[in-house]
This record gives sequence, C-alpha cells and structure tokens, in this order.
Amino acid sequence: MKKRMCAGLVILSAMLSMTGCGSSGGSGDAGELNVFIWTEYVPDSVVEAFEEETGIQVNISTYSSNEDMLAKVKSETAGAYDIVQPSDYMVEQMASQDMLLKLDTDRLENLDNIGEAYRNPSYDPEGKYAVPYMGGVAAIAVNTDMIQTEVTSYADLFTDEFRNSLVVLDDYRAVIGMAARSIGLSMNETDPDKLEQIKEQTLKLKNNIKLYDSDSPKSALIAGDCSAGVCWSAEIALAMEENPAIEIVFPKEGPYIFMDNWCITKDAKNVDAAYQFIDYMLRAETAQKVSEEFPYLQPNTAAMDLLGEDYSSNPAKNVPQDVIASGEYVQNLDPDTLAIYDSIWTELKK
Amino acid sequence: MKREGKKKGKKGLGVAYCTLIYLFLFLPIAVVAVNSFNASTTKPYLSWKGFTLDWYVRLFDNHTLLSAFGNTMLIALTSTLLSTVIGTLGAVGMYRYKFRGKKTVDALLYIPVVIPEIVLGIALLTLFSRTGIPRGLFTLILAHTTFCIPFVIFNVRARLAGYDYSVEEASMDLGAGRVQTFLRITLPVLVPGIGGGALLAFTLSIDDVIISYFTNGQVSTFPLKVMESIKSGVSPDVNALSVLILIGTIALVAVTQSGLFQKKRN
Amino acid sequence: MKAEKRNLAAALPMVGPVTLWLLFFVALPLLFVAVISFCSIDQNYNVQFQFTLENYRRLLDASYIQIYAQSFLIAALTTVICIFLGYPFAFLIARTFPKRKALLYMLVIIPFWTNSLIRIYGWRTFLGTNGWLNSLLQTLHLVDTPIDFLFRQGTTVLGMVYCLFPFMVLPLYTAIEKLDQSLMEASSDLGAKGPVTFFRVVLPLTASGIFSGSIMVFIPCLGFFYVSDILGGGNADVIGNLIERQFQSGNNWPLGAALSIILILITLLLVKLYQKCGGSMESLGV
Repeated sequence: MKKRMCAGLVILSAMLSMTGCGSSGGSGDAGELNVFIWTEYVPDSVVEAFEEETGIQVNISTYSSNEDMLAKVKSETAGAYDIVQPSDYMVEQMASQDMLLKLDTDRLENLDNIGEAYRNPSYDPEGKYAVPYMGGVAAIAVNTDMIQTEVTSYADLFTDEFRNSLVVLDDYRAVIGMAARSIGLSMNETDPDKLEQIKEQTLKLKNNIKLYDSDSPKSALIAGDCSAGVCWSAEIALAMEENPAIEIVFPKEGPYIFMDNWCITKDAKNVDAAYQFIDYMLRAETAQKVSEEFPYLQPNTAAMDLLGEDYSSNPAKNVPQDVIASGEYVQNLDPDTLAIYDSIWTELKK
Repeated sequence: MKREGKKKGKKGLGVAYCTLIYLFLFLPIAVVAVNSFNASTTKPYLSWKGFTLDWYVRLFDNHTLLSAFGNTMLIALTSTLLSTVIGTLGAVGMYRYKFRGKKTVDALLYIPVVIPEIVLGIALLTLFSRTGIPRGLFTLILAHTTFCIPFVIFNVRARLAGYDYSVEEASMDLGAGRVQTFLRITLPVLVPGIGGGALLAFTLSIDDVIISYFTNGQVSTFPLKVMESIKSGVSPDVNALSVLILIGTIALVAVTQSGLFQKKRN
Repeated sequence: MKAEKRNLAAALPMVGPVTLWLLFFVALPLLFVAVISFCSIDQNYNVQFQFTLENYRRLLDASYIQIYAQSFLIAALTTVICIFLGYPFAFLIARTFPKRKALLYMLVIIPFWTNSLIRIYGWRTFLGTNGWLNSLLQTLHLVDTPIDFLFRQGTTVLGMVYCLFPFMVLPLYTAIEKLDQSLMEASSDLGAKGPVTFFRVVLPLTASGIFSGSIMVFIPCLGFFYVSDILGGGNADVIGNLIERQFQSGNNWPLGAALSIILILITLLLVKLYQKCGGSMESLGV
C-alpha cells in the first residue's frame, strides 16, 4: 500500500523537480556571491535588482542572531561566505579573531552617503572593517487595546499585569540585558554579585513571557497573540502600521541599542563582487527601498533625504538621537562570564 | 435483533471516533490550503484579505523557492539511488556471509534509526567541519544517504527472510557465475523489498528538516525554505506549493490504487 | 544455517560499502562528538583539545536537570496520549471496518505527504488568539475573550502527538491485525465478559505493538526542537533545543556534544529496557 503511494510521489516529484531545475538556471557569468544576512532585513527585490544589474548571482542565507552567524561562519570551510552582516560588538569580536577583511574604502564610491555621526564608531574606530547598514533599539511595544496602564520603562514589564503576555527577543544578551537595565545595572555586567541580582530579576520575567521570537515578533503582536513585548524598533513600526492600537515606548532606563554592518570575510572568494554589492547597498535609492520595507534607523543621510518627513518624524523608524544617547551597546564578554549568562538563560527557558 | 442494534450503535460510535481522528490529522492541511488562497500581500499573511488564485501563478516566479524544491528532489533521488545500491548489496551480503565485525555493523545500522535525528545531525556537522568538507549539496547527499541506508536494508532483509537458497545453488551448478546468479536469480526475488526500501528512503529524504539543517551550508531545500519562511510568516506561495504537491500525490495514488485493486481481484 | 563461510574476497564487494559507509558516517562522527564532549573552548569559542569534565559537570546544574525532566514529561505525555488515541483507532481500522482497511490506513499516511513544518505552522494559525478556533468559539458565544492556546507545554505536546501519531498507529495496527479472531471468540464462549477478554487476551497479545510504538514516539520527542520552537514559543524546550542552541547561538560545541552523549545514553537505556520487555529490534524499522 505504502509502496504504491510512494511510487506516485516519486513520479510527481520528478516532474516538479524538472520545472524547478529548469527555472533556476538563470545565473550569469559574473560569478556568485554568498551573502549571510539577518532574517527580515534585506528586501528580496533589492537583491534581485542587484543581480539584474550586475549579472552576479547572489546566494542568500539568513540567521537570527549574531551568535548563530558566528557559529556558522566558523564551522564552515574558509570562504564559504563573502559578506556577513554583524552588529556592533560582533564586528569587534570577528575583527579580533581575524575573520574580517580590511576594507579599501576607495572602492566604495557611495560611502559618503553615510552620515558623519555613523563613521568610525566605537566598535570599529578607524572604520576599517565595517560599513554601517541600519540600526535601532530594542523598544517596548504595547497594544493599548489590551493593556490599559501606562508603560514607561523596562521595569514596568516585570509586574504581574503582564502575566503570560509578552513577546521578547530570542536573544539572551537582549533579554538579560533588559533585566539588568531595569534594575539600574549595565547590560555588560561581569561582577558575580551583580549577575546574581540580574539573574533574580530575569527570572521574574518567566511567567510574563509568552513567546520568544527574534525573527518576526511583529507577527505575534499583529495577530494579538501577545499584548506587549520587547522588539526591534522597526518591527514595532511595522506592527503599528498593521494595527494602530500598538504603540512604541522607549524605556526610560535607556534601551539596548545596536548598529548592523556590512563586512567582507577574510577568506571571501569573490571580493570584487562583494565590494560591488556593498556599494550598491550604499546607494541612496537602494537604502531608501530598504527602509521602506524594513524601517530601521537609517545612517544613510542621502537616503533619509529621499525618505522625507514622514520617515524622519516617526520615532519608531527614525529613533530620536537622545534615545540612542541614553542607550547601551552590547559588549564582548569573556567565556566564563558568558557561561553565567548562558545558565541564566537556560534557567529562564526551562 | 437486539444484538444487531447494539452492534450497529457500536459501529456508529466507531465511525464517529475515526472521523474525529481524521479531522485531527487533516485539520492543519485545511489551514494550509485555505491560506494558499489568501489575497493578503503583507507579512505575516495572517488576516484574510479575500480569495485569490494569484499565488498559484506567482509561485512559478519565485525562483528561490523552486530551486530549493529542485535541490530537494535532486538530493532525494541521488541519496535514494546510493542508499538502495549500498543497502541491497549489504543486506544480501550480511545475510549470506559470516564475517568478523558483523555484529558491530548490525548495531551501527540501528543507530540512525533509533537515536533522535538531532544527534546524527550535529555528529555529521562535527565530522564535516573538523575534516574541512565544505557543506553543500554533496554533504546533504552524504547525510541523507546515511539515514536512508538502514531502512533499505530492513526492507530487503524482510524479503530475504523467506528466500530459498537452493535456487542459487542450482544456478551455479548449471554454470552461471556469481555475478550472473546475483543479477538473474537473487535480484528479481528481492525487487519488492528493494522497491519498498527505496521509496521509503525517498520519502524520508524529501521531508527531512533536522539533519539538513545542520549539514546544508548555503544550499536550501524545500523543508529548510519552509522553516525560514515560518520565521517571518509563511507566505501563501509556500502554502500553494504544498497544496500542489499534496494534490498531485493524491491523484497519482488514486490511479495506482485502482490498479492495485484490479490486480487483487485476479 | 545455510549461510556459507566464504572467503573474504566474495563477501567484500557486498558488505564492504555498507560497512565503510557506516564507519565513516555513523561511527566516526559519533566518536568525534564523544571526544569533543571532553574538550574545552578558548577565549574565541574555538574547541580546544584540552581534557576537561567541566561540560558534564555543567549538565548537572539544576536548570539543565529541570529541562531533562520537562523533556521526559512532554515525551511521556505524548506517548500516553498516542496510545490512548491510537489503540482504539488501530483496532477499528483493523477489525471493525475490514473492507475499507486499505483506504483507512492510507488516510493516516496521506497527511504526511505534506511538509511537516508547514502542518505544525497550520496548528499555530488555527490555535492563535485570533485564530480559527477562537473565532469559532466566539461566534458560537462559548467564550467571551479568546483563550490562550499557544506557546504552552500543552500545545507542544499536541504538536508532538500530531507528528508522531502514525508511528504509534502502524505497529499497533500490525499487532492487532495478527490477532486470531477465534481466540477472542473462545474467550467469550468460555463466559468471559468484554473487558476481561480485552485485558486477559487482547492486550497481552498486542503488547508488542504498544512497546514498539512507544519507543518510536518517546525517543524522537526528546529531540524534536522545531515543534517546541513553533508551538511552545520557547516555553517548552526539550533536550533537542539545548543541543541546537549550543551548536548555534551558544557557540559551545563541547557542551552541546556532552548533551548529545547524554541523549545517546538515554536512548540506549530505553532500547535496552524495550528489549528486556521482549521487544524485537526488527519491529522498530517502520
């Protein structure tokens, strides 16, 4: 019986696979580019337009956290990925492990589009390895139809009122960092006593967290599965467009802030195409298209001009500078401290 | 009379119970099917925006999805072929010969079947990573062949259980060589077992998520594509492709089934 | 008995490939995992070949032990539910509707021709706060406010039951089909009531099906990380989630390897137990 059915499937799939193979053979001669990026961050249409213009075939793979990316790049053979998209602290870590290529900025004609304030950031002081892509904060989203009280801080989310209703990032540095800031500590504490306090605070969230989702926390907010949460600012901006009852709150403790970057790996096989790709992403029009689909904080000032007032005056999209100034970046920590963070995380998720 | 009525009532209860179970089994498929007609074009495609057949057309413009599906088929066909050849030879060899370490091989066979998939997945990842084999189609085929081999062997072995050796001896006595005997005499007897094993291998391969997840490199397969799209909300074209696969299968099953019933009647 | 002792030359082309394949792609990788589980990591999270038992010590932390316990609970619940749902079902297909046996059996398998992930996601859509089920309940005025079905342990169990149900039904079906009708008749002729016949005759004779079904449901449950990810929302992690995390975001392969070794040991223990109960390995191969 089962065998017969299998036979049917074989024939069907063989037929379908032919269509599949037939339509995938459109790669150009200009080579291949392996790009490793965050989920929900670079529009497919932009990548397709680049392929069309240059004839370079771009292979996209995606990841959900910096650590995932690091693990995969390390376990792969050298040169498996040409371009990666690490956040601030991960640029520093990868550079210190000699995993990134020193950039020849002369090859990036459109680099001038990046605002002065975003050049030479603390994690890459000489601007050697990284080209800023987009950034933002981990802000609070509140569905005002479901939550009546006013929320102003991370600390507010630790109360009983949010029992089983939060969506948070599936990212241990973000969640533990938020707990730390809610009691006035740093996201990068290494002192065991303080970490003990942070652990206690983090575990108070256990009953409040309904869902861990880094990729698309907006889905649970829009669907009404979660009434509040801590998510990337642009995710909240998109959720606000789908459901006007959703509001963004910048925590008064100062949020988790991040800036993601384009980097070329040390062993990249197609360096020329990699420069071409990054330069393409730096174009004002490209950055505009990107921001229209994923409205993060856009360091590309030329693109900001194109995006206009609607964008720049929306705090969820163009996060205000004073919020950024009050926030804190994640720093690299030593493995022993990270082991403590990991055990807090395991304890939270058990 | 009374007894008959009671029996009928029992049967009714049975029908009701089975219906509930089938409802449970088919319910998510109904959700998938309905969502493939959703006119919504914004992620996460949850709210119903009206009926459309668009996605069934647009599906064929989604090259990444189609090429992922193509990869799935390529991997499935290749690893099925490999595992069938290796598995069939192995099953016959292990049945026929005694050799040192046979017990070990036998034990190794059960490992991929019994241990949770994730363990084999990370073990293969470790091997490929430590030995510097680049992840991609090649490693996916190696990995899939590995978890398919035992199922082929079990199927062939089941067929061998009732196999009469004297036919082979007769063939050899009549002057046929070892290879000729294998191809002409042994193989035909085993065909149903081999076919069953191969088809099982194929189906395991096309739906594999966990082992592919750790051994894929940058190559995407259909299940991995689905996994990726789940992160941002499954888009209706992925639903549409799933529905097409299902419909195609059911149609072909129906055809082969009717053939089967005819055979039985004869 | 008939198996002939031939020289190695004859056996080699047949058993050689499979032996080599299993050695290279099953034994060797597991050996790697075992070795790495005793290694440490350096400042940059690279595996260092420096012997340590630290990884195994960390697995004894209370939080890890609680996740093992949670895994076992989820797996046990899944197995029990599968038995209780599957036994009457298999019985009905095999005995009560013998004429439609083929069709009914096929209907169990057809859903599995659709990708398993997308079906799990289907459950998520169905059970969401504004999903189909809640809409239905609200339209029927059975509830006023939507019920929170998603992202709980119970939902994870539901997903696991859904994924593994056929693996329980198939061995049960096989065992029940083999039952000799005359035995049951004899039992009732001798005056035994229905339940007595069931517990004294039917159940013992089909126990083998229950055992192999249980093994085939319980063990995969411990590793099914994507079911608990999609339906449990991160609140119902199983051992598989722990392993996946250490090999991905955790960047601690030695710890993940140690966890895998523990999972292998648990599996071996369960299989030994199964064999003690008289289960045969042959009936585990689907």
